[in-house]
Order: sequence, then C-alpha cells, then structure tokens
Amino acid sequence: MEFTLLFLAIFIVMLVAWRGPRPLAMGLFAAVLIACVATYLHHATDVLKLSF
Amino acid sequence: MTQTRAIALNALSLYALALLLAAAFAAQLLLGELPCPLCLLQRIMFATLAIGPILNIRFGPRPSHYAMSLLAAVAGAVVSTRQVLLHIMPGDAGYGSALLGYHYYTWALIGFIAAIVLLAAILLFDRQFEDDAAASPLAGNLFGYAAVCLVIGLTAMNVVSAFLECGPRACADNPVVYELLKR
Repeated sequence: MEFTLLFLAIFIVMLVAWRGPRPLAMGLFAAVLIACVATYLHHATDVLKLSF
Repeated sequence: MTQTRAIALNALSLYALALLLAAAFAAQLLLGELPCPLCLLQRIMFATLAIGPILNIRFGPRPSHYAMSLLAAVAGAVVSTRQVLLHIMPGDAGYGSALLGYHYYTWALIGFIAAIVLLAAILLFDRQFEDDAAASPLAGNLFGYAAVCLVIGLTAMNVVSAFLECGPRACADNPVVYELLKR
C-alpha cells in the first residue's frame, strides 16, 4: 500500500512541477523524498550476511 | 552550453527515464515477474529523479533543480546497493531474471551512478543558468512537452500496477500474484 501511495504522491508532485507553483513543487518533493527514505528504512531491516 | 541546449538535454533525460520505467514494465508484463518491495522503491526513485528535469523544462535550468535530482539519485543508489548486497553471496541466484548478465537492481545501481555523474557534469556548464531572453523554456517545446507527458503517464500506470499488486495491505516480500486479481 505504501508504494501505491508513494507513486501517487510522485504523480501529484510531477503535475504540480508541470502546472503549479515552483515553491510548492519543491516542498512536496522534499516531503516525498523523506517518505521514500522512511519507507526504505522500514524495509531494510534484514541483516546483510556479507562475510564470505 | 546555452539554456536551450540544456533544456533539450533535460528532455532527453526524461526520455531515458521513461525508457527505463517502460523496460521495467515490460519485464513485469511479458515475463510475469512482479517487482519486490525494494524493486518498487527503485522504480519510485527513478520517477522521483524525473521531477528535476520537469522543473528545468518548465522554469529553465537552475542548480536547485539539479540538486533535487542528485538527492533522488543518491537515495536510489543506496536502495539498489542494498539489494545488490542482499544477493551478493556466492550461490545466490538473485531476484528475478537477468538481462545481459545483470539483474534489474544491478542495472538500477549502474543507472543511478550514471545519473549522479551526468548531473555533476551538466552542473559544470554555467552559461545555462544565465538569463537567456531568446530561450523560452515552454514555448513551442513539443519535444520537452511529450517527454513530460510520457514520464507522467508511466508514473500513473505504476500507481495502478502497484495497487493491483499489493492491494490495500503491505506488499509481499516475494510477490507471485496480483493481490487484487486473485480469485
């Protein structure tokens, strides 16, 4: 579900970047990027087994 | 590099991103390989990468727009590096099928690193940031307009695809069926 929402959020930011005010597009971009990082941290919990 | 040329290059980069998102869709639809959560996040970062060029095409090139794309590319590189490391152990077959010897996430890592290098390179050209009365970012720029429409359309298709795959719940780690199309 979170990925659907992220795609939807990026779709909206793209539309704002194309048709809306520039400061709003940049603000929304920052919010989406933070949401992406949070989603990554939520999914990156498995231990990496890197000793070989 | 003049402002007009920089805008054309930004439009070209949108076509490259659209090609990448379309290739991911092709693998999903033709090979029947559903994207995992980290794969979806990499697609999301590629789509996020497109916001800077859209702003450059509409408002003209600005360092802040390139900085936005750089941040998205670095975040995307972190995500794809993690997935590469998840499958780096000897004997691990990796996730999904390989294309020209590399899996999608390895190609994604190469793509994000290439984006970082190209963004740094284009920032070297200062003339694009000077006011150029002859160059109107939007007027008559059909090439740029089509690129923006293409990338926005592909992002909209990803909204639908991700919803069909995951439904209203969390996505499966190794998805094999579309949750909303299950009978």
